[in-house]
Amino acid sequence: MLKRLMLDAAYFLQTSKAYQAKKLYIYNILENNENRYKKYIDIFMIALIFISVSVLIREVKYPVDDTLHFFSTYVISIIFFIEYLLRLWVSSSVCKIIVAQSEHDSFLSREIKLLKALREVLNVKLKYIFSIKAMIDLLAVLPFFHELRLLRVFILFRVFKLFRYAKSFHTLASVLVTKKFEFLTLAIFASIVIFVSSVLIYVMEANNPESPVNTLFDALYWSIVTISTVGYGDVTPVTTEGRVVAMLVIISGIAVLAFTTSIVVSAFTEKLDEIREIKNIEDIAKLKSYYLVCGYESVAKELAKKLQSSAHGIIILDSDLSRVEVARQDGFIAMNYSPASTQSYSKLNINFKKQVKAVLCLRESDVENVYAALTIRSIDKDVYILSLLMQNTNRKKLEFAGINHIVYPQELVGLTTKELVGKPAAFEVIHQLRSEHAHVDIDEIALTERMVENFPTVGSLFNKRYRVIVLGVFKGDSDRFYFNPIDSTLLQSGDYLLAVGYKVFISEFERSLHAKRKNV
Amino acid sequence: MQREKMSKTTALIFGLNRYALEIQASVKSKYDSVQIYALAGEESAIEDIATEPFDLSDEWSEIKRSIKIEESIAFCVLEDDAQNIFLAISLRAHFENLIIVAIASNNESANKLKMAGVNQVIPLVETTADIIANILEKPISNRVLNSILYEESALKIEQVKITNAEYFDEKPINDIDWSRYKGIIILSLMHEDMSRDFIYASKIKNHIIKDGDILVVVGFENDIEEFKKCIGSK
Repeated sequence: MLKRLMLDAAYFLQTSKAYQAKKLYIYNILENNENRYKKYIDIFMIALIFISVSVLIREVKYPVDDTLHFFSTYVISIIFFIEYLLRLWVSSSVCKIIVAQSEHDSFLSREIKLLKALREVLNVKLKYIFSIKAMIDLLAVLPFFHELRLLRVFILFRVFKLFRYAKSFHTLASVLVTKKFEFLTLAIFASIVIFVSSVLIYVMEANNPESPVNTLFDALYWSIVTISTVGYGDVTPVTTEGRVVAMLVIISGIAVLAFTTSIVVSAFTEKLDEIREIKNIEDIAKLKSYYLVCGYESVAKELAKKLQSSAHGIIILDSDLSRVEVARQDGFIAMNYSPASTQSYSKLNINFKKQVKAVLCLRESDVENVYAALTIRSIDKDVYILSLLMQNTNRKKLEFAGINHIVYPQELVGLTTKELVGKPAAFEVIHQLRSEHAHVDIDEIALTERMVENFPTVGSLFNKRYRVIVLGVFKGDSDRFYFNPIDSTLLQSGDYLLAVGYKVFISEFERSLHAKRKNV
Repeated sequence: MQREKMSKTTALIFGLNRYALEIQASVKSKYDSVQIYALAGEESAIEDIATEPFDLSDEWSEIKRSIKIEESIAFCVLEDDAQNIFLAISLRAHFENLIIVAIASNNESANKLKMAGVNQVIPLVETTADIIANILEKPISNRVLNSILYEESALKIEQVKITNAEYFDEKPINDIDWSRYKGIIILSLMHEDMSRDFIYASKIKNHIIKDGDILVVVGFENDIEEFKKCIGSK
């Protein structure tokens, strides 16, 4: 009966969308660094830690306000305990283990071994409970029992909780872990030197009444202080034999220090690229919208410079490290990943639907562009892809790869020369409007409801006052452009004005549209 | 036969590559003749194209004899920038009045080509990047400008030369009510010395329009024709 009940409950929770969504939400705000709310939770917990440590320091010599004391002892402890329980809850899925065991046994047509599943659950949960992080979390709750004076010192475990919230500590730990073997060797060497020198100094000095080394502990203390090159000077050998031992320990100390420094430095040097990459991936995850540029060659370089002032970010992917370095020197976030590999996008956590404004395949090779475009299309069917075409014979292949817009530079040269030959002045004007460097610009002004309320018709616009030409109105609903519309043309929210003029005047004109009419 | 045709307006394309073929296709309707000149070694790159050989130390005596330089245009489209610049200098040294258009792979080469006396440089990379930036950041204006410039739409951009300046009663540009020319929009003014100003530029607000000035206008074909009749453009 109980077994049936437990199985039903496990299946219910495993299939309950509401339960799983809540659990995922809690997991994200506690453990997922990419979650937008996690940093606020972390800041809140850090603040609680500092409050309780401040109270501990204060009450050493001065009385602490009862409310503050209550808050530090009980409220913070309860909050930490709730956090501990939540972390324990999301660390693994009990129902998943039970359901898996049930499915397994059902598949083998045998009785469901619920006890085995429960043992597995216990095993997983205990593994979490005895992890260092969880132990610190639990010990940080102990000051709740502050009447036991010894437990008060456990407030200091709250300080250790800071490790959980500061990412740089994780980075430091992960860097040092890579040199585990070297540190172990160093520790063994240092331990042997300390042990031998402690015994030696004790043997040499303990019987001398003038020597401050009277116990083995004094000898150990002296050894550690000396080998660490700190050398307080409160305990010093007085016999010649003792001083000889001291010289050896000092030399060993220099070796230990040099060895330690070199291990730490080499660990950081080796991991520097990885740390930078992790930082870049985090930065990419924070971007709301960006252009994903695949390949950093001549057109990509020029385009990236032009798009720098855009509201969208720019992320560059290139499989060639030298080009990635150039992109980084140019001030862009560039990653040495192949644009033609799906793994690249999963490693970078790129969310095409939410983050990528457009994918730009700008390698000067049709093969590479098609390969990258197909890879991206296999991940997301809707993302906008623009690609360079180098050989017109490959146009169909690019279209087949699902590229939305193909730019063929040779064709542009043909069209440009055609206009240049026929209407040089007109061509120059259009070219100037398109160029980023020209003073006269063409801009698209999106009309909002507020603008339309203040300026309901084309005639009510004050563009001439700002020396701006309104070339026409683009009506989004009908997808039509109305050139030079008559004054009585009604403007609607969602329409776009195509304004031509000096950049500064267009900005002024746009600002005037945002202002209330009476202020214009 | 060929010599007879070459005496008419001619487009001379130096270099045999994909750019040359695109240019040939684009300008063949505007010139009586289009002649492609290929450097040694280029001929094998693209077959079935009638070309004339040339080398960079050429004295261009054949061209001098057979074409009207003032009514011709030369396109320098060699893929090697250094060779292209040398070619442009060579042409300019021999033909003072020839209109030379050249492609450049980057801004540095574009500047050198201008110094070499090229009338119009098409910086390939910059132009391509400009077009892509417009497609991405200003999709609507890009669509409209494309339809005005390249496609067969009713909307046209024209340069209108003024031959009847009295029509404007010697009013400064700032005082002319351009809105009465319904259907067209004046974008800029080109002076006789080919310098150009935006129609609302402060420096030309007191300019009195005179014969020979060129207005760049956008509008529907009929409206532009009407405007041309008023100001006497031929």
